[in-house]
Amino acid sequence: MAKTVMIVDDSASLRQVVGIALRGAGYEVLEGCDGKDALSKLTGQKVHLVISDVNMPNMDGITFVKNMKLLPAYKFTPVIMLTTEAQESKKLEGQAAGAKAWVVKPFQPTQMLAAVAKLVMP
Amino acid sequence: MSELDQALQTFFVESRELLEAMEESLLTLESEPDDKEAIGAIFRAAHTIKGSGGLFGLNGIVAFTHVVENVLDRVRSDEIPVNGDLIALLLSCRDHIGMLVEQVAADASAEPDNETLATGVMLLNQLKSYQTATKETAPAVSKTNVKAESQVMTTLPSGGKVESGHWHISLRFGRDVLRNGMDPLAFIRYLDNLGEIVHVAMLPDAMPFPPDMDPESCYLGFEIDFHGDNVDKATIEGVFEFVREDCSIRILPPHSRIEEYIQFINDLPENKIALGELLVNCGSLTRKELEEALHLQEKLRVESDQEASPMLGDILVKQGVVQPELIEAALGKQKVAKENKVQESKLIRIQAEKLDQLINLVGEMVIAGAATSLLAQRTRDPALTESTSTLSRLVEEIRDSALQLRMVQIGETFSRFNRVVRDVSKEIGKEIGLSIGGAETELDKSVVEKIGDPLMHLVRNSMDHGIEKADVRVKRGKPAKGTVHLNAYHESSSIVVEVGDDGGGLNRERILAKALEKGLITANQVLSDKEIYGLIFEAGFSTAEAVTNLSGRGVGMDVVRRNIEALRGTVEIDSREGVGTTVKIRLPLTLAIIDGFLLGVGSASYVVPLDMVMECIELTEAERQLTRENNYINLRGTVLPFIRLREQFREDGKISRRENIVVVHYAGQKAGLVVDELMGEFQTVIKPLGKLFENLKGVSGSTILGSGEVALILDVPALIQRAVNVESRAVL
Repeated sequence: MAKTVMIVDDSASLRQVVGIALRGAGYEVLEGCDGKDALSKLTGQKVHLVISDVNMPNMDGITFVKNMKLLPAYKFTPVIMLTTEAQESKKLEGQAAGAKAWVVKPFQPTQMLAAVAKLVMP
Repeated sequence: MSELDQALQTFFVESRELLEAMEESLLTLESEPDDKEAIGAIFRAAHTIKGSGGLFGLNGIVAFTHVVENVLDRVRSDEIPVNGDLIALLLSCRDHIGMLVEQVAADASAEPDNETLATGVMLLNQLKSYQTATKETAPAVSKTNVKAESQVMTTLPSGGKVESGHWHISLRFGRDVLRNGMDPLAFIRYLDNLGEIVHVAMLPDAMPFPPDMDPESCYLGFEIDFHGDNVDKATIEGVFEFVREDCSIRILPPHSRIEEYIQFINDLPENKIALGELLVNCGSLTRKELEEALHLQEKLRVESDQEASPMLGDILVKQGVVQPELIEAALGKQKVAKENKVQESKLIRIQAEKLDQLINLVGEMVIAGAATSLLAQRTRDPALTESTSTLSRLVEEIRDSALQLRMVQIGETFSRFNRVVRDVSKEIGKEIGLSIGGAETELDKSVVEKIGDPLMHLVRNSMDHGIEKADVRVKRGKPAKGTVHLNAYHESSSIVVEVGDDGGGLNRERILAKALEKGLITANQVLSDKEIYGLIFEAGFSTAEAVTNLSGRGVGMDVVRRNIEALRGTVEIDSREGVGTTVKIRLPLTLAIIDGFLLGVGSASYVVPLDMVMECIELTEAERQLTRENNYINLRGTVLPFIRLREQFREDGKISRRENIVVVHYAGQKAGLVVDELMGEFQTVIKPLGKLFENLKGVSGSTILGSGEVALILDVPALIQRAVNVESRAVL
């Protein structure tokens, strides 16, 4: 069965492109347009990996990861954070929240796929 | 269109919206420099455009936005104070990003032109002063570690090289690796993709006794022999990038020197002899190499009674100690991002054409439904009539919902003017603010798109000519700062958009003189105030003494009126000298389907918009005699001018025995339309008239009846105007 990856970002175009790349590589893709939306979509189904932006309206990525890790079903779900090099402190904050992997924005779809493959094979 | 092209289109739409939001927040910031939410929104806009732009390989946009984002980040962390200069610069940057996006949108492969490049360079230079030297980042730290590592190696005496041509990777995962969502096996599996894992040995040494074991912790270590062509150390390190901080990794390249293995064995926590055996078993070392290694190790221990040089392990430990402090400091400094209070409504993006197609189909359905109802009525079958009436009620609801889809709030159009007013007031050196009312008023999207230009002209006109210079204003007892007001509200079936100012008002005499001079009126014409003010919408009319950059060239106001009329709207002007001027634009709510009222005159049918109908009265025989000469009746004590449609449209045929007056109103005026027959409500799908009939007076469109016949839609405002004019001329 295909592995499920959730992409959380407030940019619809980014979700679209990452979605295309991930689906092309054989993953199932779930989308969330901000932390709040993503949390509401995590209803117990198996999600193998979460990719989340940090800076989002309604609920930022770090709060989202903190909250997600509180849900028993997602305690062990790996998270890739999307950061920018200008956000070194955010990166540390994200790691403290439990998001140990990160990809620096802007990235190419292939870079994202490589990072995803390190954590979950399709 | 490929999936990726579609995504690119989404990017353009998204960027435009973000830039709008950025501009709005920048303007907010100008008045409230401490608004954290606004700063956050501005930063997020730049951040998102940069991130998404990178995905599409739009390097020009990424490079420029990156610098802007850096500066914004410093603003966000209070390192740079917000002031007027910075906001002006950021506004220019926002415009430049918009320009870059639009250029890619127009032609994805085109390079930016020289002018754009020059603007970019200029802005980057200005931004430079707000940037600091790049901070020490994590990669830099790890580089120093690498250096330290190599220094350690050079201090050791050289020895032979091991024979094995395999990489040796030693992994000790941290206890928390599973809790962090990392699967150790996933990395090893990924490594297998890069080459061939020759051998894996698992080290369960750290595993505690079962009662002490925490099933969520990872206790395992791995020794891996790996063979890969064209693989370098960085690539292998990259595999374990995400666990680098959670685990200790040693990587030895093929044919490493024996002493490196020793160093390596020393660094690992497990029993040294056992480890050596393991390496031999793996094939990394031969038995002979191991013996040599252990011997060297002994020798080294003698040579250096103290730690002569820092070991890699120490460095790592030190690094490990630093880490939690760093995290804490970062946590303390960085305030937890506030939850954005602004409720962003959930939206679905649909292509406008799809919506138009839906509206067209609904229109066709309304017509087909009318035909069905007509047929059903003819059969006089009660069950059939019943079911068709249910059907037409549903069709009506679908029509309303479909039209509702196209309705958008005018607020977005209005808020664009914040920037316009700001820029223009700087340009012309008058202090002018903008106040907005009725932003939530909805109107058809196609109308919104076309109203922007006329509004722009009216606003600029108000600022340039309407509002006086500050000293004049003070002299007149008004606040020095002028105000332009945008307002919108619904009135019967129309939406009214007002552009007002608290300036000097129109000079009635000057307009009259100018109109005479231009030959627009004759000297003995008697005109109402409204008519005089309306003259400024005539082609070639301008009273401004000086032609400025903005307006005053005499083109524009007539174009404004023409644009509005093309939308089946009207424009009127109210002014009080010394107090201000208000231009009212009245537009139909929708351009597609309306509730109509069907009228019969002779053999033809006409439609008037139902919202404009006030009442219907019978024209009695007595009144008919009375009004043979005069075109007005006494309607409950007021004069009601009317038009006989039979005469207006030269309808032949037998004059019917009974006539009715339909009282219609528009923009505060009333008039009667004399018709033969009242045929009741009718859902009207508006079809535009062909080019040939464009200039027809009194008719604004056509529609198709259930029977398949064509009915003309009456241009009520024009007819009212005509009735009122004819009547007032007759009185004079």
